[in-house]
Amino acid sequence: MSLWVDKFRPKTLDDLHYHQSLSTRLKSLAASADFPHMLFYGPSGAGKKTRISCTLRQLFGSGVEKLKIDQRVFISPSKRKLEINIVQSNFHIEITPSEAGNYDRVVIQDLLKEIAQTQQVDLNAKHRFKVVVINEADSLSRDAQAALRRTMEKYMSNMRIILCANSTSKLIAPIKSRCLLMRVAAPNPKEMQIVLEHVAKKLKFDLPEEASQQIAEDSGGNMRKALLVFEALKMQSPDLSGSLKIAKPDWETYCHKVADLIVQEQSPARVLEVRAKLYELLTHCIPPTIILKTIAEQVVERVDEAIKADVMHWAAFYETRMRLGNKKIYHLEAWVVKVMSLYKHFMYNFDMADYE
Amino acid sequence: MHAVRSSSGSASKASGKKTRLKTVKLDASSEPPNKKPRTVIHQGDGRLWVDKYEPTVEADLAVHKRKVEDVRRWLSEAFEGGPTGKLRKYRRILVLTGPAGTAKTTTLRVLAREMGFEIVEWRNSMSERGPNDSWMDTEALFDKFQAFLTRASSCYNIFAASSAIASTQSQSHTQLKSLSEPSTPSLPSTSSSQLSNRHLILLEDLPNILHLPTQARFHDALQSLCGSSESGPPVVIIISDSGLRGENAYNDDAWDGAGGARWSKKETIDIRSLLGADLSTSPYVTRIAFNPIAPTLMTKALQAMLTIHFASTSGKPPAKDVVDMIVESSNGDIRSAVMALEFACVVTLTKGGGSGKTRRNTAGSGGARAVLEAVTRREQSLVLFHLMGKILYNKRKGDPPATHLSARDAAKERELDETFVDPSPLPDFLSEHDRKASRVCLETIASDSPIDSSLLGLYIHQNYTMFCTDVDQCDGVCEGLSWVDCVGGHLPSTTPHAFPTLVLSTLHALPTPVPRKGQKVCKPSWFDVRKKEQDALEGVGDVTTWLGHGGASEEHAPGRWTHADVAVELCGWLRAVDRTGIAQLQVPRAHRLFSYLPWGAGGVGGDVLGEDEYGETDDVDDQGDIRVLGALRDEKEGKGWWLESDDIEEAEMEA
Repeated sequence: MSLWVDKFRPKTLDDLHYHQSLSTRLKSLAASADFPHMLFYGPSGAGKKTRISCTLRQLFGSGVEKLKIDQRVFISPSKRKLEINIVQSNFHIEITPSEAGNYDRVVIQDLLKEIAQTQQVDLNAKHRFKVVVINEADSLSRDAQAALRRTMEKYMSNMRIILCANSTSKLIAPIKSRCLLMRVAAPNPKEMQIVLEHVAKKLKFDLPEEASQQIAEDSGGNMRKALLVFEALKMQSPDLSGSLKIAKPDWETYCHKVADLIVQEQSPARVLEVRAKLYELLTHCIPPTIILKTIAEQVVERVDEAIKADVMHWAAFYETRMRLGNKKIYHLEAWVVKVMSLYKHFMYNFDMADYE
Repeated sequence: MHAVRSSSGSASKASGKKTRLKTVKLDASSEPPNKKPRTVIHQGDGRLWVDKYEPTVEADLAVHKRKVEDVRRWLSEAFEGGPTGKLRKYRRILVLTGPAGTAKTTTLRVLAREMGFEIVEWRNSMSERGPNDSWMDTEALFDKFQAFLTRASSCYNIFAASSAIASTQSQSHTQLKSLSEPSTPSLPSTSSSQLSNRHLILLEDLPNILHLPTQARFHDALQSLCGSSESGPPVVIIISDSGLRGENAYNDDAWDGAGGARWSKKETIDIRSLLGADLSTSPYVTRIAFNPIAPTLMTKALQAMLTIHFASTSGKPPAKDVVDMIVESSNGDIRSAVMALEFACVVTLTKGGGSGKTRRNTAGSGGARAVLEAVTRREQSLVLFHLMGKILYNKRKGDPPATHLSARDAAKERELDETFVDPSPLPDFLSEHDRKASRVCLETIASDSPIDSSLLGLYIHQNYTMFCTDVDQCDGVCEGLSWVDCVGGHLPSTTPHAFPTLVLSTLHALPTPVPRKGQKVCKPSWFDVRKKEQDALEGVGDVTTWLGHGGASEEHAPGRWTHADVAVELCGWLRAVDRTGIAQLQVPRAHRLFSYLPWGAGGVGGDVLGEDEYGETDDVDDQGDIRVLGALRDEKEGKGWWLESDDIEEAEMEA
């Protein structure tokens, strides 16, 4: 028993089901002598990490699959101990510096310097360099990005860096210009259905067309989510006839109901009610950006054409503030109140026009 | 190391580090007039009043009777074991908490005297060394502390009976100093020798427990003290609460869209960090919280002190309104009140010296008021409760007086309104921003606020909805909060404009006048939420580790799951695993903290608020004494902007 997402993850570039042209390009890159620094970006669940690990395998052979997990301790300038999990093979090393929060610079600097200063000792290795995979690169702090920038140039002979990010907009320009950008787009529903069917075939059961379609459409281009929903659905309703709802995460339906609350009534008391719900979502570790996005999408579906643009405008506006600010709830709530106010005025004017 | 063994509450600490206030009621009502008041100052023995007039009997304590009784009961149970004799085992550690200057130490000393036990006190000392100490001091400070604890819990002071100061030198440069009191009238002279085997350990000057290893050792030391035999003496720990700190709790709140371990560091000492989580909830520990001293009690104590002071020395006591003002501005801190009183006597006498009584009453008291106001003004002089009332009720010029106000107060309000200048009218296109002049004095609020801007923001955020009548008003308040938070960035406390901006934007957005519906000001539930979030985050961490170590797969798949992915996408699967009951997977149970989110959990906000009322540790507005203080202020000062204070109290009583 294992997660299907992990179990049926393609191991080589040839196994990949979609984005064939990208695979060919990666293959030829890996074959060439000068492999560049790379930046994989695209929405979550599109297959960035899968492509990274396939590329690594293409570069170094099956040796990269022998992984070990280390826990490394870094000391921050304020003498605080940071424990970071590091996954590595003989040829590459994988870190998620955002686990160190504000101290990611320390992790980046210490670790990269250490790797860069040691040469590959395995004479059978195909390449003289090691690869450092940095996950969640877009949540790296400015400091860490600046630290990365210098290292990338200085230690090019011993090391290549592969960054993995959701969007490039939060990376500083010097980093982007030093990397080869690889966009991994989300698969379209057709492609997802192919993957789902592939999994079903491996597991030797039939996947009804409508079920796979439903799952593919619902997951919005997130392959990982689709597979998880698929597996959860299969667990609870073996013939896959059950409603998708039982397999979906609770917080999504929760967000839909919050959107209902916002549209139904606009009053200070309702603001309080919505706040309680937002708090509830936050205590379940749902990132506030995702909360805002999900609720906004739902609200837009429920309101009149005329104010849809405004709702989204304010969502974007308060999302920016959320990033700059400290307490996420203020901005989430400010957006909720703004939408309520917009909606109320719209309905009021509408009624008046009707009356006249 | 110096361990000061002071029997029966003698003045072991000469400099006024702690309050010792002695008030003895005397019948002498009049004081001799004096022409040369300056001499009074030099007449004293160099001690401050706080030391000189420390109370010696319980009747003189300005503490509420019940509190003293609580402490006394605990002590007697610790020494005698209560009615059944079995309680002794559980009366190991007593923690006295409360703001500074609420007579915690004094209460203990007075009780020590009355009940006849010795106080053995630990003091950190680096510089003070006895003349016989060698320069080579190889013992670490904490080792000394431990040695002190061991010695104090197993040894008795053999010099307790002697009346002179006896000091002894122990092997490890330890000085056990015994200061025996020249027998006091309240105790029979034999008592000290009779009862000298009863002593307790007082820990007031604690080791540096902000240093984590030290903290751990400190916990161990206390733990072993609890677990050990019953014969050891009880331990009393005294902690002064520091002011409210909003910032520390969430400095490192940076959710970057991806989880990850977070570290929060405690900078302040509270009972939890001091004793550790398990000990602070164990039956061995009792906590008694001291409240700020009620103004009535304090006035009585100060008056009594004046009486005794001017009975023994010549001079003129300050006028009653000066005392009242001191009491009022001290905010329940009797030490500062006594200090201010001593100072007031010096000032008034200097000013009024040589001139007639009439002049002193006209010019002198006014001058004294100004000086005193400057001296006694303390940072926390505006109670949070009233601060919130002022902001949220948004009173403006010309508002109809509240129904519960007496005619006199209403007239005062009107009088005050006269002094406000109407703002010049705005052009038509800005007419929606037209407001009447506010009765809230921003400068006063900002300078007297007990909380910083980020905590103020949380309080406003928690409560504003009840004071709004319309979503548009909510929008204004929220926009202000959001803007200030965004501009302040990650270091909100460093922005000096945050506080006034918050207040002004809130005042501007709130309706005027605010309808009175029996609103209750609640404490922010934000801290609770944050705590829950941290717990859930640990659950996410557990699941991530479990996934990485091949929990769900034959091969290791580490690094493929980030915290955010797990929190956002894996919940559906985790729930399915739970429902279908696949046991061999051994998913960490902690996943329920984040994967289950039933609709309706946590209610619709109402109970979240109710809970908070007393849930938070930094209680500010549920202390009875403070409310009394507020009410007194209203009567005495009637300065208009104080008048809001009782609105909320009434509302609370109604509700």
